[in-house]
Amino acid sequence: MAPKKKEEPKPAAAPAAPKPPEPEIPKTPEFDPTTVTLEFTPEQIEDFRDSFQLFDTTPASEMKIAYAQCGDLIRALGQNPTNTEIMHVLGKPKAEEMQTKMLDFDQFLPMHQHICKSKDCGTYEDFVEGLRVFDKEGNGTVMGAELRHVLATLGEKMKEDEVDQLMQNQEDANGCINYEAFVKYIMAS
Amino acid sequence: MGCGVSKSNQFKNSGKAIKSAVLIQRWYRQFVARKEMRRRYTWHIFQSIEYSGEQAQIKLYNFLGYLMDNFTPTSNERNLISHIFRENEVCRDAEWERYFCYKNIEVPDIYSGPHLTFPLTVEQAVGLVEAFRNKKQLHSRYILQLLLETWKQLRLLPNINRISTCHSKEITICGDLHGQLEDLLLIFYKNDMPSLEKPYLFNGDFVDRGKDSIEILIILFSFLLVYPSEVYLNRGNHEDHIVNLRYGFTKEVLSKYRMHGKRILKLLQKIFSWLPLASVIDQKVLVLHGGISNTTDLSVLARVDRHNYVSALRPPKKRHQSVAGLSMDSDMDEDAGSTNKVFQRRPSLTFPKALAKDCFQNRSLQDFSDRLRVNTVEEVESHQKNRGLLGSENETSQSCESINSEDEWKQILDLLWSDPMTQDGCVPNEVRGGGCYWGPDVTEDFLNRHNLQLIIRSHECKQEGYEFCHNRKVLTLFSASNYYDVGSNRGAYVKLGPDLVPYLVQYQASSMIRELSVRQSVGRSERSAIKVLREQLFAHKSDLICAFKKLDSENKGRVSLSDWATAVESVLRLGLPWRIMRSQLVTGRSADGSIDYYEWFNELAIKGANADHIDQSLLETLYRHRSTLETIFRIVDTDNSGFITMEDFRQTWKLLSVYLKMEITEDAISDLAVTIDSNQDGSIDIEEFMEAFRLTDKKSRLERGRSMFMGTATDLTKLEGDPNI
Repeated sequence: MAPKKKEEPKPAAAPAAPKPPEPEIPKTPEFDPTTVTLEFTPEQIEDFRDSFQLFDTTPASEMKIAYAQCGDLIRALGQNPTNTEIMHVLGKPKAEEMQTKMLDFDQFLPMHQHICKSKDCGTYEDFVEGLRVFDKEGNGTVMGAELRHVLATLGEKMKEDEVDQLMQNQEDANGCINYEAFVKYIMAS
Repeated sequence: MGCGVSKSNQFKNSGKAIKSAVLIQRWYRQFVARKEMRRRYTWHIFQSIEYSGEQAQIKLYNFLGYLMDNFTPTSNERNLISHIFRENEVCRDAEWERYFCYKNIEVPDIYSGPHLTFPLTVEQAVGLVEAFRNKKQLHSRYILQLLLETWKQLRLLPNINRISTCHSKEITICGDLHGQLEDLLLIFYKNDMPSLEKPYLFNGDFVDRGKDSIEILIILFSFLLVYPSEVYLNRGNHEDHIVNLRYGFTKEVLSKYRMHGKRILKLLQKIFSWLPLASVIDQKVLVLHGGISNTTDLSVLARVDRHNYVSALRPPKKRHQSVAGLSMDSDMDEDAGSTNKVFQRRPSLTFPKALAKDCFQNRSLQDFSDRLRVNTVEEVESHQKNRGLLGSENETSQSCESINSEDEWKQILDLLWSDPMTQDGCVPNEVRGGGCYWGPDVTEDFLNRHNLQLIIRSHECKQEGYEFCHNRKVLTLFSASNYYDVGSNRGAYVKLGPDLVPYLVQYQASSMIRELSVRQSVGRSERSAIKVLREQLFAHKSDLICAFKKLDSENKGRVSLSDWATAVESVLRLGLPWRIMRSQLVTGRSADGSIDYYEWFNELAIKGANADHIDQSLLETLYRHRSTLETIFRIVDTDNSGFITMEDFRQTWKLLSVYLKMEITEDAISDLAVTIDSNQDGSIDIEEFMEAFRLTDKKSRLERGRSMFMGTATDLTKLEGDPNI
C-alpha cells in the first residue's frame, strides 16, 4: 500500500488552501494595515459599526472587541475566511493574547477590508464539488460518519461538538446526507 | 480509503479532500458566527426591555418617595400611596403572631388540596410537591401557618449561612427560579428532593415573572422546616415587595388568594427580610445572589440587622428605644402628633440611567433624585440633633449607627443587584439602577481579603444556564430555563463536593424543546423578541413620527436608513443595533434605501384597543407605561380587591400625569373609564382595564428567515425560514 503522502507540501492544492502543518515559508508578507485602502461605502461602515457594537462587551461601550472575536465578527458580516487568514490579519497573535488583546473599530476596518478583497469565497458549486469527493457511489449522498471524520481530522479541524451541531438532523435513517440539500442548509443561515 | 487507487489519484483526492473540508469548515464557522450575531441581539432585546423595566420600577419608586416628602400631609395623592411606605404596622412580635392568626380560618369540606399538620414531616413536604405537580392549590390557612413557622425558623439563622460539605457528599446549588415550577420539578426529578443526604442551597429570585411563585416558596419553605440543616436559602433582589408589585408576584398571590392574599403578602414581606443574605461553603466558596463591589465586606454583612431591610430599595427602618425600653420599629409615616419621629426618609442610593433632556418618556425622575441627594448632608445633621430627644445613653453608638447604616445599606444593595463585567474596576450599575458592575481585579482582591476561592452568584440569565468569568473565579448560575421565551436558554444547577470543584448539570423544561435544533430555537426566540420590539415601536408612534419629522427637512415623508436608526434609538433608548435588525422591522424600502415612515406604521400592523373615542396620545401613554400603570393601580387598591373606585381611578391618572409631566384632561379620563366600566357601578376592574388596552400583534407581512446581511454578503440561496412548531 502506498504510504500516505499528506506530509509533503501540496503544490496540487489551490493557493487558498490552508498552509501545511509544519512551520511555513511565509508566502505572504506580514499584514500591514496601512497599505489597505478602504473601499466601503459610508452606509456599509455604519452597518459594520452596529455589528461591532454588538460584539463589544465592555460595559462602558468603549467600542472595543477582543482579538478572539474578530473572526466571528468578520464572519457574521458575511465573509468566510479560514482561521489562518484571520490570524494573518490579526498579525499572528499568541494564543493567550486572543482573549486579552483588544482592537477598536478603526483597527478592525482594514482587517475586514483585506478579507473582503480575498477572491476565494467559495460558491455553491465549489462547495458541492468539494463534497462530491466523498460521494463514493456517485448518488448525491455522502456517509455522515465519513464526513464527520473528515471535518474533525482534516484542514482546520472542527471539534466533535461543533461537528454534531453542524450535522444535527441532517443524516437520514441510513446515516447518509444528501449534500446538495446540506449545502443549501449551510449557506442559508 | 484508497484501495486500488493509483498513487497520483490518491494524492489528488486527498488534496481535494482537504480543500473541500476547509471549505465546509469555513462555511460552518460563518454559519455559527451569524447565528451568534442573531442570538446576541435577540438576547439584547429581551434583556434591555427587562432591565429598563427594572429601572422604571426604581424610578417609579423614587418618584413616589418624592411625593411623600414633598406633598402636604392632607394631599390626596399622598394618602393614596403612603401605605406603601408604611412599615409593618404592628410593633412587637407577639402582636405579629396574633395579627396573622390562622386559627380562625376555616378549611371547607370541598377543599381537595393538601392538608398540613405541624410540625411538618417529610411525607408532607413531598406530598406538597406532588400536589403542585397535579395543579392543586394549598389553602390559605395552611400557607399562613407554614409562613409563621418559616418565619420563626429564619429568625434563628445568621446573615451568612456557614455550610460544610464534610457530613454529606455534595451540596446542590440552584440559581434563579422565578416562579417556574416546571424547572424546580425537573431539578428534583434529575437530582432527587432535599434530604439528609442531599443538601440544597437556593440562591434567591424564587418569585416573579413565572406563574407559580407561591408554590415554589411553599415547597422551599417546607423543606427548610423539615431539613433545617440541609436546606439553605439566600435572598435575591426579587424577594422584595416593591419589586413584586411590578413583576407579577403580588398579582399572582392576590388572584390565587382573594380572601387572604393581602395577609399572605404582608407576612412574606417580613419573611423576605429575614432570609439570609449569603452563604459560605467550607469557608472557601461564597454564594450570593447578585455580586460584590469594591467595598463589600463580609464582616460588616455578618453584623447588620438584616430584617431592617424589608426592601433593598429603601433606606432601613430605624430601631430606637422607646420610653419603656422596648425596641420598636419606627413608622415612616407621620402619625398624628408623633414627636418620636426621628427618622427622615433618606434619598435613594439607586441611580436610574442619566437620560436625555428632551426624551419624552424620561422627563420624570432624574431631577427628583438629584434634588433629594442634595439634602443628605442636612438630613444627617438634623438626624443627629434629633437624637438628643431620645435617651442619651446610647448616643455615640447610635450616631455611629446612622452614618454606618448608609454603608450597610449599600453593602446589601450591592450584594443583591450587582453584575460582573470584563473590565477592571467598579462602576455603578446604571442599567439596572442599583448595585454596581465589578471587574476581575475586584474579584481577585475580595477573594484574597476573605481567603476564598470562588464566588457563585445568579441574577443574570445565561444561555447555557451558567457562565464562568473572571478567570473562572466567578460562576453565574441560572435555573429558570426558557426564561425569555420557549427555547431561549437552558437552566443549570451545580453540585459541589468536598473538593469544591463545581460540577454543572444543564436541563431545559418541556419536551418540545429537545426536538428543536439549535438553529430553530434561535429562530423562535428571535421572532418573539422582534414581536415585542414591534409593539414597543407602535406604542411610541407619536414620538417616533415627531423624531422622523425633525430629520425629514423637506417633509417628504421619508428618511434615510441612518436617520431612521438614529431616530428610533433616540426615542426608545434601548441601545439596540437597529440597522442590523432593519430587515426584520421594515419591509418597504425604496430604491435609494430610504424609508417611508407613515407607511411603516401601517406595516407594523399592531392592533390596539377599539378605542377611537380616546385621545391618541393618551392611548399611547397607556401602551407604553402599561406596567407602571398597573403597578400604581395595585398600590392604590389598598384592600387588594382588584377593584378601584372611579375617584381613585381619577387620582391615579392625576398621579401619572405628574409623573410623566403630561396634561391629561378630566374628559379624557372619563372617556377611559367609560370604556371598561361595563357594569356602570362606578368601580373599575383592574384586570379588565389592563386587558382592554393590551396590544396584539396581527399576522405581519414581514418575511421571516430572510438573510439580514446585505451589502457584502454574496448572493445566497434563500431558503425557507425556520419551520413553525
